[in-house]
Amino acid sequence: FAAAPETVDPLIRAHILSLVSALGGVTPTGYDLGDDALACLKDLRRWLRLYDEKLNRYDVARCMAEANLVNGDLVEILADWKEEDTENKAKHRLALACVEILVPLTWPFEKSLSEMTQNHHRHQPVLLHAQASYKSAILRHSSRKILSSIARVALPSVAIPAIERTERDEGIIRLVLYFFRNIAMIEHPNPNESDTGEDINRCATIEAFNDQNVIHLLLAIASNMGGEFVTQDVVVMEAVYHLLKSVDIEQLFRTEEEERNKKVGSLTDLLKREDEMKRAAARSRSTRHNRFGTTVWMEKDDGRRAFVSGQDALLGRDTAQKKMDSSKKWKKPKGSDVKGVGHKTEFDLVVTLEGASKPQMRTFVEDFLDAGFNPLFSHVRRAIDRDAERLLNTNQRQFFYLVAWFLKAERARRKAAAKLQLQQPTADAAAADDSFSLVASVLNQEMLITLNRRMTEWYESKSWLELQSGMRCFTQILLTVQDMTASPLEEDQEIAENIQNRLFYEETTLDLIIGILRSYTKQPFGWLDDCTEMVHVHLKMLERYSKQHDHLFVRSKRQQKAKKKRQQQDGIDMPADDDNNEEDDEELSLQSRNTMRERAFDFKKFEGKLLQQSCVSTFLAFLDNYKELSYAQVKRAITFFHRIFVKRQEEVLLFRIDIVEQFYRIMQDPDGLPQGHPARKEMDQFVKYYLRKLIKKLENRPEMYVELLFTKLNSTMHYLTHGYDKEIRVRV
Amino acid sequence: PAEKKDTLGIDEEVKIRRKRVTVKLDEERLMSSLGIPKLRQDAPRKLKFKGKGHEYRDTARLLSYYQFWADDLYKKAKFRDTLKIIEKLGHSKSMKDQRLNWIEESKRKERLLR
Repeated sequence: FAAAPETVDPLIRAHILSLVSALGGVTPTGYDLGDDALACLKDLRRWLRLYDEKLNRYDVARCMAEANLVNGDLVEILADWKEEDTENKAKHRLALACVEILVPLTWPFEKSLSEMTQNHHRHQPVLLHAQASYKSAILRHSSRKILSSIARVALPSVAIPAIERTERDEGIIRLVLYFFRNIAMIEHPNPNESDTGEDINRCATIEAFNDQNVIHLLLAIASNMGGEFVTQDVVVMEAVYHLLKSVDIEQLFRTEEEERNKKVGSLTDLLKREDEMKRAAARSRSTRHNRFGTTVWMEKDDGRRAFVSGQDALLGRDTAQKKMDSSKKWKKPKGSDVKGVGHKTEFDLVVTLEGASKPQMRTFVEDFLDAGFNPLFSHVRRAIDRDAERLLNTNQRQFFYLVAWFLKAERARRKAAAKLQLQQPTADAAAADDSFSLVASVLNQEMLITLNRRMTEWYESKSWLELQSGMRCFTQILLTVQDMTASPLEEDQEIAENIQNRLFYEETTLDLIIGILRSYTKQPFGWLDDCTEMVHVHLKMLERYSKQHDHLFVRSKRQQKAKKKRQQQDGIDMPADDDNNEEDDEELSLQSRNTMRERAFDFKKFEGKLLQQSCVSTFLAFLDNYKELSYAQVKRAITFFHRIFVKRQEEVLLFRIDIVEQFYRIMQDPDGLPQGHPARKEMDQFVKYYLRKLIKKLENRPEMYVELLFTKLNSTMHYLTHGYDKEIRVRV
Repeated sequence: PAEKKDTLGIDEEVKIRRKRVTVKLDEERLMSSLGIPKLRQDAPRKLKFKGKGHEYRDTARLLSYYQFWADDLYKKAKFRDTLKIIEKLGHSKSMKDQRLNWIEESKRKERLLR
């Protein structure tokens, strides 16, 4: 074996190797089991448990990888288990013993850096590659039934009704589910040109899971969650999560034809853009050879000169000055990112499915929505509320991520169905008229409370990744509710009305939204995208809702008494303080009348909280990714700026020279927003309007030249905006 | 024997060289004659705009002016970085007071004109 002798204790290696060779071997006719194969498997399992797990090492796992145990033996044993032998106790036991070894061998390495020892660091990279090869062997085995064999291990236990199941049966089901989760989770650790990891990528995984009925097992268990199955909820959820994380939903619900058009469109589009880029580069390129020395000077206002070399400096003042700037070597030191806030996360990936896996995935998603969504997610939600022990930290964010994912998928499905019905009215596309009951379990009060509580917790503890899953979930709930208000069914509209009432009722939630927007520092683009989307959608809906309702109640912290009063009216038992009830009553009614009166202005007041530099900076940082933004995303930023600049007339807030520079760069720089960008026209309109106002302001108030450099002071904002000081009313 | 001593270099006096002082963009520099005072004096006089219909050209003019000003003030850093540093300096108490004074001054001027 290739490994250096000192990586593992030779004695352990000898033990493992003798066990593996005693297990059996491949013959021309199939796999021949050794005499004591079952005992060997048990021994191997014992080694893993009593050495690796107990001593917190990876030595045994490493030896097993070297001995080719999985690919040479276990997979072959499982492949030899024929369907007619399912009832055969001895063979079942053998297969189970294989799974018992496979699960720890494929288990994800989830230790944090501080927990890892030298031993872990030594073995982990090798084991990661070994796991990829296990997955490849399992998915690509010539019999194409390893996964279904493993599923068969669990079937006898699954068939037993829940009350009659023993502890062992439950354990077997969980074991098999964990195996599927592990397989779904394994990725190639280091894809490169010669080894792309294509044989174990998402498409391959989904195809294998579908062909070998694993997906159906997952669906069956998910749809019976709460009934026949109880403790398996988290494992099933995890398996589903790793199957569909980062999958592009819109692509999933496009038909073949749309997909083709899109692809062709995007190819020509991309070529066009590349051409444009090339032309822009050619414009500034020198027309002579690179030693054709050229020196240009620019005269400054006071007659002094600045020198720039290179032919392109001749093109114009703009390019010359840009060149002057880019020749500077010094870089402003960026603050170190000790906590890794700026690192890309798993939420920043996008996976596109190809070939057969796409329709298979789509069927799975639709089936899951129809049958598994409500039972599984209401069950997990309750587990989260209870802080159940089986939940890991990562499970919560997976839960919210999945809820958001499926809500978006459901909306995409409805849209696709509605489109289909428009094209062929006779086709049975009833889905568009269905009520939203398929996703009702995440639209109830309990869910909103859970989500709200978690988001507050995560916001306060600065757990940005978790918060991101919460934000996504919240956005999707809002969008679903928005779709519900447009539903032809009266019942849906009523529910939507109700949910909105509850959503916009808590002032703490409203403040949380703005708090999150203000808390942006270095988070990756995906976070920024989710954050701005949430704020955008929330603000739009709240605005519309407050317009429709003159008297909008908001519960703020100060009105504790009013809350108590309402609860009493609702018949909720309160601690007895009956004696002073009557006195309170008058006071309370007075208070609630006061709040009623305030509500009419409420939206403006709420919107006013957005008029801060920190909110503006978040959107500016978002817009700075303009080259990658879609139409809707650019529009989102423009809408926000429009809200501040035009609607609220808080022009001064945006008058800063770096903002001017950014806007100018986006519109005028060769590196700016591409010419054919769909949002270019609207951006142009806004920027022009903005610049016109700015120049007028500069002409009227010369003190703006200095203030343009800074964030404005609160005390001078009013004067700079209007040209006179705020009238202060003194009460006499 | 004297030569031997020299090769070791023990008797030579050790010169302590100070590290070169790096130029910093701080409040002092910002308030120097190259900084904001110059901007206040020159910008309104020297910048002329064409107004409606020429938004981008006017802005190019404006940005170019600020870039030369920033370059004179702090040669080392790029335009955008300089702006960031200056913006941050504006948060200090003394800068805030100073800015308030300037605005008060222009208010007074305006009142006199009326």
